[in-house]
Amino acid sequence: MGFRRGKPLIQLFHVSKHYPGGQAALSDLTFEIGRGQFVFLTGASGAGKTTLLRLIFREEIPSSGQILVNGRNVASIPQRKIPYLRRTMGVVFQDFRLIARKTVFENVSYLPRILGVDLRGRKKLAYHALRRVGLAHRMSSFPPELSGGEQQRVAIARALINEPDILIADEPTGNLDPDLAREILRLFLAVNQRGTTVLLATHDREMIQRVGGRVLTLDRGQLALDREVVGTEQPELRLGDEEDPEAEGGRASGSAEDLGEGKDVKDESGGEDEGGLAAEAAEESQVDEAGEDAEH
Amino acid sequence: MSFLQALRSFFRDAAINLVRGWKVSLVAVLTIAVSLFLSGVFLLASRNLARSVERWQREARVVVYLTPQTTAAELAVWARRATGERWVQAVHPVDQRQAQERFRSIFPSLADLVSGGSEEPLPASLEIEVRPAASGSQEQLSALAAWRLAPGVTLIDDDREWLAQVQGLVAVIRGVGLVLGLVLLGAAVFTIGSVIRLAAFLHSEEISILRLVGATEFYIRGPFYAEGLLQGTLGGLFAAGGLYGAWLLVRQRAGDALVPSLLAADFLSPDQLAALVLLGTAAGLIGAIASLRGETLRSSS
Repeated sequence: MGFRRGKPLIQLFHVSKHYPGGQAALSDLTFEIGRGQFVFLTGASGAGKTTLLRLIFREEIPSSGQILVNGRNVASIPQRKIPYLRRTMGVVFQDFRLIARKTVFENVSYLPRILGVDLRGRKKLAYHALRRVGLAHRMSSFPPELSGGEQQRVAIARALINEPDILIADEPTGNLDPDLAREILRLFLAVNQRGTTVLLATHDREMIQRVGGRVLTLDRGQLALDREVVGTEQPELRLGDEEDPEAEGGRASGSAEDLGEGKDVKDESGGEDEGGLAAEAAEESQVDEAGEDAEH
Repeated sequence: MSFLQALRSFFRDAAINLVRGWKVSLVAVLTIAVSLFLSGVFLLASRNLARSVERWQREARVVVYLTPQTTAAELAVWARRATGERWVQAVHPVDQRQAQERFRSIFPSLADLVSGGSEEPLPASLEIEVRPAASGSQEQLSALAAWRLAPGVTLIDDDREWLAQVQGLVAVIRGVGLVLGLVLLGAAVFTIGSVIRLAAFLHSEEISILRLVGATEFYIRGPFYAEGLLQGTLGGLFAAGGLYGAWLLVRQRAGDALVPSLLAADFLSPDQLAALVLLGTAAGLIGAIASLRGETLRSSS
């Protein structure tokens, strides 16, 4: 779990946001989030959670104060540089924001395509990202063919494909039933355990109590609380026993692959644990197979 | 992503959009095709007419009609007098007999009109070829003005007078074509802009995702610009094809009719045809740029 506090990755200094008409969405927020932390952002509807997230990924600019991400003041980043900032972040929304007419592969591989990665490279990246969320076998499916939980996992895979420094999630479990919400939360925890800073906005206090961690509570635009909560069901939420083949030594065991259908994929490519070219080649052929019909 | 990779990607996406929304795209393509076709018709007509006028100007003559009482000796004097003018290239005196013969050979069925009467209906005349360099010169105008007042001259027919009227007509056709072309082209640009705006609206969800994952404005707008460019180029090609078809049809059906054969004597030059297509391309691109300028895409994200 993300109790550790590393070097600051996100820093806010007296940040306020006022909308036309004088309404204050955020007032004088000051806090920082360390690299590798898992932070819940909570508060009632209208407390300013979404506004805060939008400020961090530079969808909006603060009326006053400074927001530093990776040491850069996001408000002063020129318009043309914003895309480069966003490439260091993954963003997940409650409504998934997947394109229904595009395959899962196409939905996931937007960023590699923008970056000019060739089809083979895109398939490989998409495969890895989807494997992390246990959906590598659905590369050629279309979003409407997937359940809500699967769609959210695809959205997470899209956010993760470029190994972002920060994963921002705005009510990612809001549209899901409790079981699916739990599954999605496990994914976020797994992502965090691989070193990605996670900032998750939710008004589900029960979930926060179960999982625990650092919790920032907003109340009418102000930071009401910044505390560490010890989770009641933490062990249950811990990931499975299998080693993540891509995880670095020293990190907590378990990964997203252990969830659901991802397990099958991992089993098939189990040779990777042993390393070596054969395993890599096998994986590549699997990638080709999985992505063969994904792009149309 | 390299520039060429990006272009390839833009045109691929644009082609997919064109096919997916072919009905709307067809409206835009046809609008620009019709506007360019009509502009092309005016261009073709004015070009052919202008060429004919040029040819006629090269062959332009001044005919000085003398009184019926003019004798052969007086005709010779007039011919010598005309030959002495610097603006005159050649003088062909035509006496009454020659005039009658010419009339009979051109209009055999009307031969009776000019034979057997007591009064000669066709007067003697001087047909004067004008030096091209001196055509319309002050010297020529002064001489003709003096001759008009001279005894023995009944009428002076200067081809330049009616050619000037035809030239005026060419200018009017060009002007009307230009204005109509501009108006229609403006409508075409507007139509293409609307189609692109609609396409951007339909893709607003995707645009917001692209923006979210870090796509640059160039990458987001590129496919729409390519779509406008393709629509404009297709419109230009349709217009060029339609114009050629119409030209062939007119030439086939015109026969000996003066006006159609005059207006459809030659087709547009390859340069003019290429310019017509490029005009369509430019109109498409302008329409796309205009429709996506400012905050259009931003507000849709």
